[in-house]
Amino acid sequence: MPEPSTFKKFVEVGRVVLLNSGASEGKIAVIVEIIDHNRAIIDGPSTGVPRQPYPYKHLTLTPFVVPSLPRAAGSGVVKKYYEKSGIAEKWAESSWSKRREALQKRRALNDFERFEVMLLKKQRRDTVRKSLKKSVA
Amino acid sequence: MTSSRLYCKGRVLGHKRAKRNSRPNTSLLQIEGVSNKEDAQFYLGKRVAYVYKAQKEVRGSKVRVIWGRVTRPHGNSGVVKGKFRSNLPPRAFGASIRIMLYPSNI
Amino acid sequence: MSEYKEVKVGGEKNGQTRLVPTKKAPRFYPAEDVRQPKKVRKTAKPTALRSKITPGTILILLAGRFRGKRVVFLKQLNSGLLLVTGPYKANGVPLRRVNQAYVIATSTKVDISGVQLSEKLTDAYFAKAKASKSVSAEEEFFAEGKPKAKEAYPEEKASEQKDLDKAILAEIKKTANLEKYLKASWGLQKGQFPHEMVF
Repeated sequence: MPEPSTFKKFVEVGRVVLLNSGASEGKIAVIVEIIDHNRAIIDGPSTGVPRQPYPYKHLTLTPFVVPSLPRAAGSGVVKKYYEKSGIAEKWAESSWSKRREALQKRRALNDFERFEVMLLKKQRRDTVRKSLKKSVA
Repeated sequence: MTSSRLYCKGRVLGHKRAKRNSRPNTSLLQIEGVSNKEDAQFYLGKRVAYVYKAQKEVRGSKVRVIWGRVTRPHGNSGVVKGKFRSNLPPRAFGASIRIMLYPSNI
Repeated sequence: MSEYKEVKVGGEKNGQTRLVPTKKAPRFYPAEDVRQPKKVRKTAKPTALRSKITPGTILILLAGRFRGKRVVFLKQLNSGLLLVTGPYKANGVPLRRVNQAYVIATSTKVDISGVQLSEKLTDAYFAKAKASKSVSAEEEFFAEGKPKAKEAYPEEKASEQKDLDKAILAEIKKTANLEKYLKASWGLQKGQFPHEMVF
């Protein structure tokens, strides 16, 4: 029996992946079939990603797996399994996706909004410092 | 915001050149944070200043400037070409330059 | 002046009056025709205002004495320059003309549709007053051995600025933090790249 691997996320049928480039950048999809060492067929019927081959270079594995997804399942089946597994909610709740969203929001801020963020951060710093001093003294 | 930097930082990579001949009338510049041709597009036409210190004072200051402009991208990695009023001296290679935000179109 | 004038002429058979040209024809008459230069039909187009800049837009100045300051755009003058004001009371930038090439337009706007801009605010308003040549610089320098007293800022301009500031500041105060924003100056920090930023 081989030793258990130290890796936790594998390229496997049912693995949920985050796409890093292309038209569906930033969306998640499911690996349906592994083509070779470079590409897999992915599908995201409920996230708006069309079924297509995708190089591993341009995707990141997430810790989520759609359980017992049959190999080379069609879009309809993928959709059924995906929705049953409730991965959309799990992904939305993960700190990873939250952080991504927050970053995107920060990047889209205009100059005035950036200024307002700066003011709020200043305020927060002030309260933290003051309460810290109080607790130490 | 306490900072008052109104320019982007960049670096002089060298003169435009081939394998054996260099063309000192054009310099290659790398702008910080710019890593592809599309991003470099923003900086085309912007004024560039090579600010340095010299031994002798001119009009009461040892600081001197050679002004220039970003003319076009150089390759796909975000490096740009720049032309200066007088060609950059080789001792400017590796030195930092200022890419001004004007003429602005934003 | 008319080209001809009527002159009385003596002698009965001369018809009493005669039309005489007021200007004598020149003695020289070119033997060959001289080409008339072509009339220039080109006219200077008025400078196109960048579409992002509309009255009330907050601009960031990039060069000059007030570089890094955020100001309010009022209108474009005939010369194509932009008329801006700090307002003076908020950040010390007076009514001033700037070239739009030296400006970043932000997406923040102040509603100045209700603010009446004085008719006087034209390019002539900002032109330098012609120095009187009566006193030479040398004379001036040696006059009483002290430098020339600084001329006071014209009261008219000061009051103009004051009135405008009042009207604009009233609008600015309607948005929270906007006055603070105008008072603060802008600059790039580590890791900020203007080509990635939204303004």
